[in-house]
Amino acid sequence: MVSISFLNPLSPEGKDIVRELGSFDGISQDIPELRRLVTRNPSQEIVADEEIPSNYLELALKRIEWYVKKKNDREFNSRRYSFLSDQAITKYDVISFYLLCQSIGVKFGPNSRETRVMVEAQGDLVQERLGKLSLQEGRLMVDQSLQLLLKGDTVHWTFFQELLSTRKIRLTELVLDQGELILNPEDFIDRFGSRIKHRNPSSMYQLLIGDELKELLMVKMVMQETEDYIKQVHEKARIMVEPNPILLELAEEVAEILAEPMQSYGYGSGRGGGGPMKAGPLNSQAFPPCVKKALEGIKSGGRNDAIVLFMTPFVSYARLYPDVFRMNLSKRVSDQDPQLEITQNEILPLIYEAAQRCVPPLFEDQPQEKVNINAKLGFGMHSELKMEHEGETTWYTPMSCEKIKLHLPHLCRPDEVCKKIGNPLSYYNRMLWEVRTLKPADDSGSTTASAENSSEGVEENNGSPGKGGTTPDKPGEA
Amino acid sequence: MELKPATPNERRQYYREEWDVKNVPDFIRNTLIQREFGFDHIGRGPNDRYRVFRNSDDLRKFMRVRTPFAAYSSVAFYNNPKRRGGWIKAELVFDVDAKDIPIRTCGCDNVCEICLNQAKDIVMGLLDTLQGDLGLKNINVVYSGRGYHIRVLDDAVMAMDSDVRSQIVKYLVGADVPRSEYSSHGMKYNLEHFTIPFGYPQVFTHRVKQALLNLTPDTEIDDVSKDIKKAVIKNRELLHDDQWGIFRKAIGPVRYGRLVKGIASLNLTLVDAKVSIDLKRILRLPSSLHSGVSMKSTLIKNLETFDPFQDAVPKFVYERDDK
Repeated sequence: MVSISFLNPLSPEGKDIVRELGSFDGISQDIPELRRLVTRNPSQEIVADEEIPSNYLELALKRIEWYVKKKNDREFNSRRYSFLSDQAITKYDVISFYLLCQSIGVKFGPNSRETRVMVEAQGDLVQERLGKLSLQEGRLMVDQSLQLLLKGDTVHWTFFQELLSTRKIRLTELVLDQGELILNPEDFIDRFGSRIKHRNPSSMYQLLIGDELKELLMVKMVMQETEDYIKQVHEKARIMVEPNPILLELAEEVAEILAEPMQSYGYGSGRGGGGPMKAGPLNSQAFPPCVKKALEGIKSGGRNDAIVLFMTPFVSYARLYPDVFRMNLSKRVSDQDPQLEITQNEILPLIYEAAQRCVPPLFEDQPQEKVNINAKLGFGMHSELKMEHEGETTWYTPMSCEKIKLHLPHLCRPDEVCKKIGNPLSYYNRMLWEVRTLKPADDSGSTTASAENSSEGVEENNGSPGKGGTTPDKPGEA
Repeated sequence: MELKPATPNERRQYYREEWDVKNVPDFIRNTLIQREFGFDHIGRGPNDRYRVFRNSDDLRKFMRVRTPFAAYSSVAFYNNPKRRGGWIKAELVFDVDAKDIPIRTCGCDNVCEICLNQAKDIVMGLLDTLQGDLGLKNINVVYSGRGYHIRVLDDAVMAMDSDVRSQIVKYLVGADVPRSEYSSHGMKYNLEHFTIPFGYPQVFTHRVKQALLNLTPDTEIDDVSKDIKKAVIKNRELLHDDQWGIFRKAIGPVRYGRLVKGIASLNLTLVDAKVSIDLKRILRLPSSLHSGVSMKSTLIKNLETFDPFQDAVPKFVYERDDK
C-alpha cells in the first residue's frame, strides 16, 4: 500500500516522518539503504555511480533536476529517474521535499522562480506517481488524499479561493450546484439524475467528474499546499536568526540546476534560440494584434486604459526590457536607458501618436493623462520625466492577455500565435525570434531592425515581478 | 418617454421634496461609516471623492444642500474610508449597462425600453447562476438609471481578490467555450455543451441561446460570416424547444464551432468586467438621481414586475412643460 505522504508530503503521515527524523544533524550523511533502493529498482536505467543519490540532499536535487530536464532536454530519458516513482523511497523522499521547501523558502521566498519550479515539479511528480499505480490503487489514493485535503463531505466552491486566485484551477472546471462542489456519484445522481435524458447518469458522471476531475483537484491542492508551506517558511525565516547553512547551500545548488538550461538548452521552450534577449529598436511588424489595433487609435470608450495602462507598459518594456518576465527582476527605466534618450525620442512619441489617433484625441480633453503615463513609467505624478522623481511610482509591467480581455475586450482579436502566449510581450519576443531564425535578416528592410535581437521566444507569463501585472488601482465609477 | 437631462432646478426639487435618506437601502445605510462616498457636482465625472458620513443624517443634509448631479458610494468597506485605507472587503458587483449590451436589437443611441428589457433578461440569467450554481444568497439588484447593478454581499465572496472575481465573471457570462472532448478509461467521447444539463456547460448553453435569439444580420462577431448569421436566423426557431442537435447540424458542425467561439468572446461584454474586478470602485448610490437621463437609481424588490418607466421616474418629469 502506498503511503499518502508519497503523494502529499504535507499530510499528517508526512509530518510524522519529519518529526521522527528530529533534527538536521547528519542530514548529509550517506544512506546506503537509499542507494540500494535506487540500484535495485528493475525499471531503473543504469547510471554512473555519482548520479545515484546517496543522501537526502542529493535526492532533493534529483527531484528538481528531473523536472528541469523533463521540460527542457530533448534527450530526456525518464528511466534514469525511475527511482523517483518507487514508493519504497517514501521516507527519504518526504524529507527531501521538506529540505527543498525550506531552503527555497529561506533563500528565495514565495514569489521566486525557484518556488514556481518547486511547486510545478511537485505537481508533475504526483501525477507521474499516480500514473504508475493500478487504476484501483490510484483511485483509492486520490480519494483518501482528497478526503484529508477537503476536510468534510460538503465543500463550498469558495473553499478553492486560493486555487482560483492563482489560476491553478478554473471555476468553469468545477461542477457546482447550490454552491456545493459535486464530486461523488451519489451526490451527482441525486442532484442531476432527473435532468439527464437519453443518457446513463452514471456514465455521464464518469465523463464529467470521475477520476479526472478528482485527480486534477488533488494535484492542484498539493501544489497549493506546497506553495503555502514555502511562504510560511519564508515568513518565519525573516524573524528568525541565522538559517541553517545546509539549507542555504542546498538553495544555491537548486539555483544552479535552474540556471543550467538557460545556457545549454534555452530556458522555457526547449526549442533552442539561446542567449539573453537584448533590447533593440522596435519592430512594429512583430507587434501583437491588440497593440496594432491600439496604435490605430481607440475610437470608442476605454481610451485612458488603452493608452496609459496598456500601451505605455508594453511599448516601454518591448523597447527597453523585453525579457522582464524571464529575468523575473524588477528594474527602472533608467537601468536600461540611463540618459532617457530612447524614452524621450522613441517610446513617448509612439505612445503620444496612439493617443493622438484616438477619437477624440486623448490629450485634447484629458491632458492630465500625460502625467499618468509618466507615472506608469516609474517617474511619479509629474508633468516632466525627471531622474530625481524616478522610483516614486513603479514601472508597470505589460498587462497579461487575461487582463486585456477584461479591461479592453475590444482590443483582443487573437490570431494563431496568441494561443501560445499569455502576455503580449511574449508575443512580441516570439515573433522577433521567429523573424530572426526563420527569415535571415537580409531580405526585408522591416526585419533588419530586429536582426540583433535574440530571444528564446516563448515564455508564458501572466504575472510579473514586483508590483506589476497592473490591476489599475485607480477606482473608477459605474 | 424622452430621456433628457435634469436641470439644476429639477435636481434641487428632487432632493428637497422627493428624496428621503430612508430610501437609501439598508445594506448601505447600515455600513455607512465604512464606505467612501463620491460626488459629481457639475456632470463631469465624480471628482469630489473620499467623502465620509458619520450617520444617515449627515448624508441627508449633504444631499439636500448640495443636490449633486450624481452620487456614488464605494463597494468597498474600509477601516479608514476617508483615505481609502484599511480595506476590509468589497461587494461583488456586476454592471449590466443597457447601452453596452453586445447584441442590441433596438439600435437606439442611448437607452430605450427595448434594450432596458434586454438588460433585465440578462440580469435574470445571471441571478439564476449566482443562486443556483454558486449558491449565493445575499443579493441586491439595483436599477442604475441606464441598466442594472447586481450587488452580492455574501461574506464568502466579499473578501475575494480580483483574480477570483474575474473567474466568477467568466463563469457567469459564459466567456469560455466548454470543452467537448471527454475521456474515460482511455476512450474518448464527444459531448457538446447543450447535451450537459448542469454546471457550467448549461450556463454556457443559456447564454448562447439568449444571444442567438437576439442576433441580427448586422451583429459583428469575430470570424463569423454573414452566411452563418443568415443560417442562424433561418434556423433559430429550433432553439425555442432546445433542438440543439438539429440546429447544429443545420449550421454545420465546423461553422457551429466558430459561431459559439465568437459568441463566447462577445459574452465577456455582457457585464462590464472592469467593475466586477475593481475592489475599490464607487457605484451610483441607490435612491439618488441619474441626472443625465432624469431617472432614479432604485433598489428593486421584484425584478419580474419592475418597470423603470413606472418605478424609477422622478416626479418632476411628470411636471415638465413639454409633457
